[in-house]
Amino acid sequence: MSQSPSVDIDPRSPRARLAALFDDGAFTPITPEDDRGVLSAVGQVHGARVVAFATDPTVQGGAMGSQGCRAIVTAYDRAFADHCPVVGIWHSGGARLREGVASLDGVGRVFAAMTRASGKVPQISVVVGPAAGGAAYGPALTDVVIMSDAGRIFVTGPEVVRSVTGEDVNMDILGGAEPHGRRSGVVHITTDSEAQALGQARDLAVLLAHQGSLDIDAVADRDLGAYLPESARRAYDVHPLVEGFLDDGTFIELHARWAPNIVVGLGRLGGRTTGVVANNPMRLGGCLDSASAEKAARFVRMCDAFAIPLIVLVDVPGYLPGLGQEWEGVVRRGAKLLHAFAECVVPRVTVVTRKAYGGAYVAMNSSSLGATRVFAWPDAEVAVMGSVAAIRILHRRRLAEVPEDARAQVELELAAEHEVISGGIKRAVEIGVVDEVVDPTVTRTTVARILLDTPGVRGVHGNIPL
Amino acid sequence: MSQAVRAEMVASVHSIIAAVGDRVVPGEPIMILESMKMEIPVCADAPGTITEISVQPGDVVREGDLLVLLA
Repeated sequence: MSQSPSVDIDPRSPRARLAALFDDGAFTPITPEDDRGVLSAVGQVHGARVVAFATDPTVQGGAMGSQGCRAIVTAYDRAFADHCPVVGIWHSGGARLREGVASLDGVGRVFAAMTRASGKVPQISVVVGPAAGGAAYGPALTDVVIMSDAGRIFVTGPEVVRSVTGEDVNMDILGGAEPHGRRSGVVHITTDSEAQALGQARDLAVLLAHQGSLDIDAVADRDLGAYLPESARRAYDVHPLVEGFLDDGTFIELHARWAPNIVVGLGRLGGRTTGVVANNPMRLGGCLDSASAEKAARFVRMCDAFAIPLIVLVDVPGYLPGLGQEWEGVVRRGAKLLHAFAECVVPRVTVVTRKAYGGAYVAMNSSSLGATRVFAWPDAEVAVMGSVAAIRILHRRRLAEVPEDARAQVELELAAEHEVISGGIKRAVEIGVVDEVVDPTVTRTTVARILLDTPGVRGVHGNIPL
Repeated sequence: MSQAVRAEMVASVHSIIAAVGDRVVPGEPIMILESMKMEIPVCADAPGTITEISVQPGDVVREGDLLVLLA
């Protein structure tokens, strides 16, 4: 193994960046160190075997030629053979112009290698400088994209944009943390520095590579109900509940700022890598919409491909209504979440904490989509819609005849009556859409036991970047 | 630089908690919106002092409407 680079090495060089990624700065190159613009290596990350490559911005701005592309394919071949994660560190202007179409052919071969590996070995990209053109699509094809403060991802740069569309933009506006972290969903994690970005890549790599086994004795109960507000109508931030459910300090959120009405991420439960999907009532009331359904669908498929069990925390008032949503393709993009859960074979446990209404109830890992087990907290509601909304439709004519000042009271009475007839959570248990009502104080151990007792399998499919 | 807090979705204004001149920090509710039968707190992204509250309880706001200005 080669050792840490000396201090005078260019911090942007592949050698320096790979040293920052691997344990103790130690790694073994698996491709020649020359002017091909990419260096690939194997080493350890938190003790787990990892293959990594870094583009070399000190040679032709990190542009990718056929030899450099071959070095990336070599990294993939090795990751495939060793069955370990592959981390790509990107700082590249795209294909090498002077090589002409040969470089495009090389870039295409990289994309093909990434797609062959998709769903088989975990792929993490760390974008630490501009990644343009072909270098933009490389990271985009991988499972997780991390971007440092200096990272920029775009297909065409500011000058081309200016000449074609007249838009006066810089690289930051085109492809920095704000557009990709919040608007486009290209980037899963943004960080304030390159060191933090590589640190996140290390933490994710070990979560994916060394998933561990669930130690039930390490899972203590906590009153998870304490994370909910007293009023059932009041929105709240779901992050403390997610973090409280998982082992302390292990949660890594993906796509935190994009579609924040749903929270997805990886952590550990009883030491075992576990994925969480949770509605976040604090944003858009926790409604599902086109972007959040797509975000969750991609995450569920990634966990399924890598044999990571899922916990789904449900508190959802429905799908967000509106013209904008329909035109954005809430039907097509919402269908992705239905498809993702319905095909998912890893253990996946649902906990309805407050409510699950309508189509969103179905989409959030319902019993009908094959959930391993569905739990509900004692005060939870599972229904086509809230009882007041339901009786407003069912008793429209009768309510129209009630004087306005008495209407609220009549609505409440009808709603109570409706709840008795439709059965509330008791009825949901009777017909089997909820398996069991569980107290928030014992939910953690109850869910952990189900995950422990369910055979671990993995979905055999790629992880197309939905 | 002033910071605008805008409505994330169609909603009615349920109640106003803070007042002009109040200093707020991220996560501190300024007002409560009601939408989808949910009472949704509206908070600032960054700390600031409220210079304007553009809505009153009962108002209906659309996505993107200005709710609060902070300086």
